[in-house]
Amino acid sequence: MFHRILIANRGEIALRIIRAAREMGIETVAIHSTADANSLHVRFADQSLCVGPPSSKESYLNIPAILSAAEVSGADAIHPGYGFLSENAEFAEMVQHSGLGFIGPRPEMIRLMGNKVRAKEAMREAGLPQLPGSDGVVHDERDLARMAAGIGFPVILKAAAGGGGRGMKIVREKDQLVQMYRTASAESLAAFGNGDMYIERYVERPRHIEIQIVADERGNIVHFGERECSVQRRHQKMLEESPSPALNEKLRERMGRVAVEAMRKVRYNNLGTIEFLLDERGDFYFMEMNTRIQVEHPVTESVTGIDLVREQIRLAAGEELGRTQKSISMKGHAIECRINAEDPVTFAPSPGLITAYHAPGGLGVRVDSGAYEQYRVLPFYDSMVAKLIVMADSRPAAIMRMRRALEEYIVEGIKTNIPFHKSLLVYEPFVQGRYDTRLVEKLLAENPG
Amino acid sequence: MDVDKLKAILAALQGTDVTRLTWVEGQETLDVRLGHPPPPPPATVHAVPVAAQVTAAIPTPPSVAPVPAPVEAPPARPAADKSFTVNSPFVGTFYRSASPDSPSFVEEGQVVKKGQVLCIVEAMKLMNEIEAEQPGRLVEVLIQNGSPVEYGEALFRFEPA
Repeated sequence: MFHRILIANRGEIALRIIRAAREMGIETVAIHSTADANSLHVRFADQSLCVGPPSSKESYLNIPAILSAAEVSGADAIHPGYGFLSENAEFAEMVQHSGLGFIGPRPEMIRLMGNKVRAKEAMREAGLPQLPGSDGVVHDERDLARMAAGIGFPVILKAAAGGGGRGMKIVREKDQLVQMYRTASAESLAAFGNGDMYIERYVERPRHIEIQIVADERGNIVHFGERECSVQRRHQKMLEESPSPALNEKLRERMGRVAVEAMRKVRYNNLGTIEFLLDERGDFYFMEMNTRIQVEHPVTESVTGIDLVREQIRLAAGEELGRTQKSISMKGHAIECRINAEDPVTFAPSPGLITAYHAPGGLGVRVDSGAYEQYRVLPFYDSMVAKLIVMADSRPAAIMRMRRALEEYIVEGIKTNIPFHKSLLVYEPFVQGRYDTRLVEKLLAENPG
Repeated sequence: MDVDKLKAILAALQGTDVTRLTWVEGQETLDVRLGHPPPPPPATVHAVPVAAQVTAAIPTPPSVAPVPAPVEAPPARPAADKSFTVNSPFVGTFYRSASPDSPSFVEEGQVVKKGQVLCIVEAMKLMNEIEAEQPGRLVEVLIQNGSPVEYGEALFRFEPA
């Protein structure tokens, strides 16, 4: 087992890792920028080292400084947290070449999953279903009709040169296909100087479901169920829950099984998360894989009762998984709200001094945060100031508990998205569990401000 | 003027808009300036010592070339004290000499020239020589030989030669 871990991160996740390490009897080394000298992760670590100025590039992304800090502090492993260097394969390699343990998967796994095209190919070979579509550009109209028939309607035509929603056409009926293809291609040629089109299955109401994978170095792999992450704004997750209201036992078992099988084929190790897109018919498609601890890992911890960061450290040190799929059971329901320092209406960042702070408590309530009264939310880093997680016997009880906890949460001096979460927790489509990735957009359109 | 009287005068000024007060009593003259202290004239009392904020040192990637050390004022030192510190440009290990057997680059009391090597900060197995950016007399070596140092940590205290 490791003796001393350096945490190459800041904020709540650095604190989270310190907590797991302390409970394992492992010493911790915090690194920080000059701006973070008064952070809780610096205060609670056994030792701390300033590695650079506020800019992330010169501190939390400064590989030579971090490796030097590991050396002078006598650390024997590095935990990268999430963000920053957590999915940087070169960093993972350099850590290992320095004779230190990297708490994460092998560098080649990080590299494979970091390349979205290669990751999709590898996962297709490993048996994960993918959104049906043309592998390349549609060549002619006959080609198009054949492909569309294979994919099934509705389909979406995407301009090869497009992006950000431009140059896209949804085709619901076979009769419209050729006409809409001609229009889209001509529009794309006019707008981008390129008329090439792709065709893909169109998912009307997609949900974002991810499966938590836990694997040891000897090929033992299990999954810890799913997380529902469809509550997003501009691809930024705002609330996560487990289990997903969209999955039944059969679908959960199937998604988990194919995920584990694919991971076995690529010989994945340590923790990872496979993101799927789930359509309204219950078909699911591989989107991407994250090779690190996720922000929303506490909802899985709440329903499984297992400390995921502890697992991550233990497995990186070479310990055996010691669990079978049958031994993992999910109980109750957990919800996490990401509390961000931002305007609840405009979503503009709101850094500044927290002048009053009271975190909610009571049964089934967990707050992971680096915030405290007189803490300054810095403009240099992510705007997330806390994660509020609740756990209860059922989804309705968890919703009631989250509403209660949000009422108790006091953060003054800065603006937060707590009012947004309060309106979300009473929004009927959310309460009913009938929602998809467009939920936030719909809510904001119906209740502006 | 006794200390209690001085304290009373300063207390009376707290929270007011007064920025300067000149008090003449017999042979004694008291000149109090609040806010930003100017260079000290004789018999000046700084009612509110303004702590010099420790600013971030200039980040320098580890390299074998000598690195000019960032020089800055120490925190909370009265303006009359012209001493300055030389801070570590990165996290690493502090060495006072080129090898365990060689003499220290500098000794306390010694006057150093601009560009003179003061110490080595080792980072990632690279020995980085830290040079004086301005001349001065070494007052104090603040770090023990062989100790880890942080980014921006004060290594030496100098006074103008």
